[in-house]
Amino acid sequence: MTKQLRIALAGNANVGKSAIFNQLTGLNQVVGNWPGKTVERAEGTLHFKGYTIRVIDLPGIYSLSTFSMEEIVSRDYIAVEKPDVIVNVIDASALERNLYFTLQLLELEAPLIVDLNQVDFAAKKGIRINIDKLSEALGVPVIPTVAITGSGVTELLSTVIAVANGERKLAPLKVRFGAEVEKRVQELQILVENKLPQICKVYPARWVAIKLLEKDSDIIGKLKNYVGAAEVLEHAEELAAELEKIHGEPSPVILASERYTIANKIAKAVTVFEAPPRISLEQKIDSLTTHKLIGYPILAIIILCMFTLIFVGGSQLSATLDLFFGALSSNFESWLLHFLDNTTANLINKGILGGIIAGITIALPYIIPFYIILALLEDSGYLPRAAFLMDNLMHKIGLHGKAFIPLIIGYGCSVPACIGCKIMETERERFLAAFVVTLIPCAARTVVILGLVGRFVGLHVALALYAFDLILIFILGRIVFKALPGEPVGLIMEMPPYKKPSLKIVLTKTWSRTKDFVYIAFPIIIVGSLTITALDIIGFMNYITAGARPLISGWLGLPAEAGIPLIFGILRKELTLILLSELIPLESLSAVQMIVFAIVTMIYIPCVATIAALLKEFGWRKALAITIIDVAAALLVGGLAYNLLAIFMS
Amino acid sequence: MIRRRRRGLNKKKVSVDANGLSVLTELAEGEKAVIVRASGGFGLVRRLAEMGLTPGVEIKLIRKCPFNGPVEIEVRSVTLALGCGVASRILVKPLKDEPHD
Repeated sequence: MTKQLRIALAGNANVGKSAIFNQLTGLNQVVGNWPGKTVERAEGTLHFKGYTIRVIDLPGIYSLSTFSMEEIVSRDYIAVEKPDVIVNVIDASALERNLYFTLQLLELEAPLIVDLNQVDFAAKKGIRINIDKLSEALGVPVIPTVAITGSGVTELLSTVIAVANGERKLAPLKVRFGAEVEKRVQELQILVENKLPQICKVYPARWVAIKLLEKDSDIIGKLKNYVGAAEVLEHAEELAAELEKIHGEPSPVILASERYTIANKIAKAVTVFEAPPRISLEQKIDSLTTHKLIGYPILAIIILCMFTLIFVGGSQLSATLDLFFGALSSNFESWLLHFLDNTTANLINKGILGGIIAGITIALPYIIPFYIILALLEDSGYLPRAAFLMDNLMHKIGLHGKAFIPLIIGYGCSVPACIGCKIMETERERFLAAFVVTLIPCAARTVVILGLVGRFVGLHVALALYAFDLILIFILGRIVFKALPGEPVGLIMEMPPYKKPSLKIVLTKTWSRTKDFVYIAFPIIIVGSLTITALDIIGFMNYITAGARPLISGWLGLPAEAGIPLIFGILRKELTLILLSELIPLESLSAVQMIVFAIVTMIYIPCVATIAALLKEFGWRKALAITIIDVAAALLVGGLAYNLLAIFMS
Repeated sequence: MIRRRRRGLNKKKVSVDANGLSVLTELAEGEKAVIVRASGGFGLVRRLAEMGLTPGVEIKLIRKCPFNGPVEIEVRSVTLALGCGVASRILVKPLKDEPHD
């Protein structure tokens, strides 16, 4: 019988934790959300020396406080679920900051192994770390690894097993603060042990004491329901106030300083700086790409190259696949007719196969190349630079630089972009970013804009539409930003050093994202496509055309038939154009009608797959809110555009 | 106290108060300073401390973006980007130029 083990990877962002996770689990991983949270949860399994090991990749965080959902999820997992071993992945080139987190894991009294990652990169910077000394200082095993090549991973696993089965004993460092703080922590710890024995079964008493001194809202909330908590909380407040009086700082800052003092001491004792760091190629690239003048044109060129690659490559691939699947679909239907009547065959073919084809013809040609380029930009470390450059502009719509990343993703596909809004710190920021993302014309919408306006009215008009969209995003973003309660959060972001992207990581990321997309998007596309085909067959569409006539013809100035493509377009946006061309010759539309049609397509809620992503990330209320605002804005702006353009262009 | 400053796009007057204290955004590129304290909301101050910006720590301003853009600093061998709103809440004590830098 194989023995089971559960281990968790914990560490800062940008330390190569995901790379370690990939080395451990390969493609054998499932990415989802933590139950009820918009926090990503990656899990995988591996077999090693007769053990089946489940690996949980905790989110990359800098602390175990309550700044973000990620931090709460992580510490609850460690404290409550009690995995057999915690592997703390730390970056050898930024030891001090990483040890700050390690110390907090030690406070939680978790069974710890330290994975000293990126030792190669640190060596390049002239930093050498004495492994034995570090292990001795922390009292836990320290295994050096290079995640990209997988060096050290086998030893890491052997150590995990040795620790889990007790062969290797840990003697973890007991974190002790300076006298003033330490005295109060111990005093409070005793009180917690006496008054709240129940809570001590879950969390270490000392840790609870520290968190109470730090005024940790999550822990305070958890304690409140217990008998005897009031006295503890009151005393904790007094002690914290005393500390604040002595140091003149808020208590969390005092404790952070204490931890950093210890981290600094350990880091200094175990680090040897070998060569004075020379200016490397990476640093030169860094100063060019974040340069206050040159940085922007570089950003523009990179984005432009990216889109050209995706659209030129994507549209060709898409056309080829369409041909292939078109033939397949008609063959499939005639084959179905051998068994079924006309209506059912049509329903199955158009509804189910049509949905799958729709998914594949977008997913393969546009999304995969986009994901590859995105992973390259991510893995090389360029995205934070872009976020840095765009911070100023993003503040105008109540976001900060980091939001630029999902925005860029949005030009490829709204689904991963909505999921990508997770990188924002607060729920408010996430929602705002997701709202803006839905207004960004994705690849499918670009097909409509270029295929209709670009082809028949002129490329310059199509480009003007993009510019118009940016202005609109700015205005709508600002309105929603002002309407949302709460304060905007400023940018605090680590800038990881540039590095050569690893092919393996890029491909793994692309694969898992594509898989994610297929899981979220395909079921919805198929169900949606089936529903609309069914509605069409029972003749419901005629009612819709008639019902929507005042809106479509009266307000938007489009032919009444255009209502159907706009409804079908909810499945996939380029369907609007395909259906429109089937219903009426595109040449018969006036320039104004084309522009209005493109504007409405561009702004109204991207597609069912995006709605599904919003549902998954934000719940139905917010998904509905975004949908309604988008549709309303599309109709409003489309109508205004028609009425204004009709005056100017007649 | 008069100090030399590199010419940058940011033409804001350098203000160093009587105690020799200044605001992070007013450092010149390449200039070093020691964090005195951060003011602002509880969450922000704590966050900054957790990212290593605790009182007394030495930092170096690497670069800043024009028009009140974000700043990039080095602290504890890590590079951080801070939005202007965040950086302007951090009080620092500039270090005199070291002769061998």
